[in-house]
Amino acid sequence: MTTQPVTVRQAPDQYAKPLLIALLSGCAVALVLGLYGGLHHPTHYALDIAGFSSPLYAKAWLTTAAVVFAVVQLGTGIRISRPDAPHGIATVHRWSGRIAILLTVPVIIHCLYALGFQTYSIRVLIHSVLGCIFYGAFVAKMLSLVNRETMPKWVIPVLGGVVFVSLAGLWATSALWLFTTKGVHG
Amino acid sequence: MSRQGPLLTLGSVVIVAGLFLYGNAVAAKPGGPPAAAATTPTPTATATSLPAGATSAPAHALFAGRSSGDQVTVAIAINGKKAAADLNAGLASEVSLQGSVSGDLVSLTSSSGTRLTGSVSGPDMFGTVSGFLGQSFPFSAAQAIVQAVYAGRSSNGELTLAVSTDGNQAVAYVCNGHTIEAWLQGSVKGNQVNLTGSKGASLTGSLTGLAMFGMVTPNTGLSLPFSAELSPHPAGVFQARVAINGLATRIGWAVLPDGTQVGVAVIGSTRQPAPLLDLSDGAFTLDGGSFTAAQVAGNATVVSP
Repeated sequence: MTTQPVTVRQAPDQYAKPLLIALLSGCAVALVLGLYGGLHHPTHYALDIAGFSSPLYAKAWLTTAAVVFAVVQLGTGIRISRPDAPHGIATVHRWSGRIAILLTVPVIIHCLYALGFQTYSIRVLIHSVLGCIFYGAFVAKMLSLVNRETMPKWVIPVLGGVVFVSLAGLWATSALWLFTTKGVHG
Repeated sequence: MSRQGPLLTLGSVVIVAGLFLYGNAVAAKPGGPPAAAATTPTPTATATSLPAGATSAPAHALFAGRSSGDQVTVAIAINGKKAAADLNAGLASEVSLQGSVSGDLVSLTSSSGTRLTGSVSGPDMFGTVSGFLGQSFPFSAAQAIVQAVYAGRSSNGELTLAVSTDGNQAVAYVCNGHTIEAWLQGSVKGNQVNLTGSKGASLTGSLTGLAMFGMVTPNTGLSLPFSAELSPHPAGVFQARVAINGLATRIGWAVLPDGTQVGVAVIGSTRQPAPLLDLSDGAFTLDGGSFTAAQVAGNATVVSP
């Protein structure tokens, strides 16, 4: 991802610095997660979450719930900056996002701590890469929101889109795969 | 508010992640780290010097050394009351001897009339060889840590097991290839082998000659007598810890010297026959993925303390 092309003669680009910081932070987070997942010796052991038949199903359902909230995110995010946006849509957007991301935290910790960055099949490789991208894009989006009045208009929708698409991809390569191969149960 | 909101969200995610990571680390600690790097590309016996040991001849040991003139290599194996030795002066002039141990004295003879007598003094053995290619000479040898594999079956063949020893430490894997399996760990003291595992699993054996006999209990309620013999490559204990579709998976194989392999894969909490292991490089495939198993040395950790 690159910053806006800037012509040198113009006044100093007010966007450049905060945007650059946000994007580079996101890249750094993605890189660190990937490196940790790749270098940390997988423990093959992690805390179980009560109430599910296996940690795998716990993770699948948490991710599914996160995707449901992410769909709410998409629906509210599209309208949030329209002049005729319904009252309270920003609150719904923020809280659905917070819940969605918090739901993914136990999952990613299990993935990273117990399993790590794996490459043994295409599905697993895609899942590992998307996991890093997802959190990197999330961090970049949060940091660009801090200075959103100084950001170019496209930044937040694009980052939001990356977060949504990568989460959808994560879900498809894990929970959807599990439900279709091992059945839908708790 | 609008400037702090995203940072609060980020911060809370970091805090929750930290809590989970901490919880996992605490929960994982009693089990210790997974058997780390349990790999020694072992030929069945390798030699390194051992610090001072018992004064009488150890019940299970290998001594390696040379003649005083350095022309002849001397290797002596002691197993219980039996001893075997190999003298080698190169150029195909090799002699094998058989004999016995009495206290700290060993006495061996070959069919061609070569005699070896030695006396064990701590980690060393001193003695003389006579009648080897018409010559007599003194020799000295030092005790080596023995890395050995004993592989065999239970009395009716239900269970297959392999025991890997390294000095006075040993690990074992026993399984029936389907649903019963146990990892065991413990010590070799004299000619007694005592190993234990989780859920009441145990193995007690005694080393006699070049074999091990005893009782193995893969889980409470199932105890069977077994015999295993000192076995060369490819016999051994093999292990792989991988993630199969997000499930922690541990696979063990007991491999007999003829290449027969019996193993069980524990995927999550289900057990199934282990995939075929390529004994040349440890490679195997499971559920479409390619992985590598490693031979487990006798000093590895295979049972969580």
